[in-house]
Amino acid sequence: MLARRSLARIATQPSPLGAAPKNARNMATLREIELRLKSVKNIEKITKSMKMIASTKLAKAQRAMQSGKQYGLANSEIFQHTPLETPAKRKLFIVVSSDKGLCGGIHSSVSKATRRAIADTEKPVDSDSPIMVIGDKSKVQLSRVLAKNLAMSFSQIGRDIPTFADAAGVADLIVKSDVKYDGISIVYNKFVSAVAYEPEIVEVVGENALKESAGFRAYEMEDDVTKDLAEFSLANAIYAALVEAHACEQSARRNAMDNASKNAKDMIDRLTMQYNRGRQAAITNELVDIITGASAL
Amino acid sequence: MSSATWRNFFTYNKYAQITARAVRQSLKESERVVAEKRGTTALKYQQWENGVGGPQVLLNSEEAKK
Repeated sequence: MLARRSLARIATQPSPLGAAPKNARNMATLREIELRLKSVKNIEKITKSMKMIASTKLAKAQRAMQSGKQYGLANSEIFQHTPLETPAKRKLFIVVSSDKGLCGGIHSSVSKATRRAIADTEKPVDSDSPIMVIGDKSKVQLSRVLAKNLAMSFSQIGRDIPTFADAAGVADLIVKSDVKYDGISIVYNKFVSAVAYEPEIVEVVGENALKESAGFRAYEMEDDVTKDLAEFSLANAIYAALVEAHACEQSARRNAMDNASKNAKDMIDRLTMQYNRGRQAAITNELVDIITGASAL
Repeated sequence: MSSATWRNFFTYNKYAQITARAVRQSLKESERVVAEKRGTTALKYQQWENGVGGPQVLLNSEEAKK
C-alpha cells in the first residue's frame, strides 16, 4: 500500500525544485560534452608527447641493439658447433620483459610464449620447469598462471638502455641460486621492424651439456674454463635478449601512443561536432521561444 | 696464476665485472664519466617459493655492505 502511494506521488506531484527550464537538459548535456572535450584534449597532448619521447628513445635503443646483437651472435656460434645429443628435459625459462606499461602487447606476448612452450607436446618439457622473470609486468601475468614454477624475479631493468652489468648481475644470480636445470631457454621479443615484433626463444647450453657434447670432447678443456665459458655465454645471451627486448618495447610504445593519439583526435572531432550541434540547437530553441512569444503579443 | 683461488668466492661474471670496474676507474676523468654509465645497474631481485615472492633485494646494496 505504501509502495502504490509513493509511486502515485512520484507520477503526479511536480518536483519540489519546480519545472526545469526547457533548455536545461540541453545545457547540462552541453556542459558534459565540454568537460569531456577538455579531458580528451589533455589526453591527446599526453599521448602525443609520450609518442615523441618513445620515438627518440627508439632511435637510441635500435643503435644499442645493433651492437648488442653481436654478443648474442658470437655466443650462438659456439652452440652451433656443440649440438645437444639428448634434448634437455628440465629447462630454465628466462622471461625478458620490463616494468613499465602502455606499450601494447609486449608483456603478454612473452608470457603467452612461455606458457605455450611449457605446455608444448612436440618438444615436451618438465611441467615444473623453473621460470625466472625479468620485469614486473610479466611477473604479475605469470604469477597468476604458473606461480609454482617461479623461481626468481628481477626488476629495475629497462628504465634506460640495458647494460652488460645488468645482464652479468642476472647471470651471476642464476648461477649462484640452487636451481637445477639441463638447459636454458630465453624468451624475449624479437625486433622484426619498427612496427612489428614477435616472441622468440633462444637456447643456451648449460655447463654439463657443453662438457658432454662431441665438439667439446675433441679438445682438452679444463673444467674450470668450461664453467667460466658457460657462465659468460649465459650473460652474453641475456644481454643480447635484453637490448633487443628494450628496442621492441620502445617501438611498441611508440605505436601504441600513436594509435591512442589518432583515436583521441577522432574523439575530439566527434565531440566538437556534437557540441556545436547542441549549441546551435539550444540557440534555435531560444529563438523559437522568443518569436512565438513576440507573435503572441 | 694457474691455481686461481677467486673461483672459490665468486663466479666468472662477478670476476669480469670487478676487473671492468677497475679498468673504468683507471680512465681519464672525461672518459671515465662516459664509461661509468655503461657499468651502472640498479637491479633488484626476489626469490620465489611455492608461488609466494620473498622480499625484493637490491643487488648493489649487498656488495656495498660487504
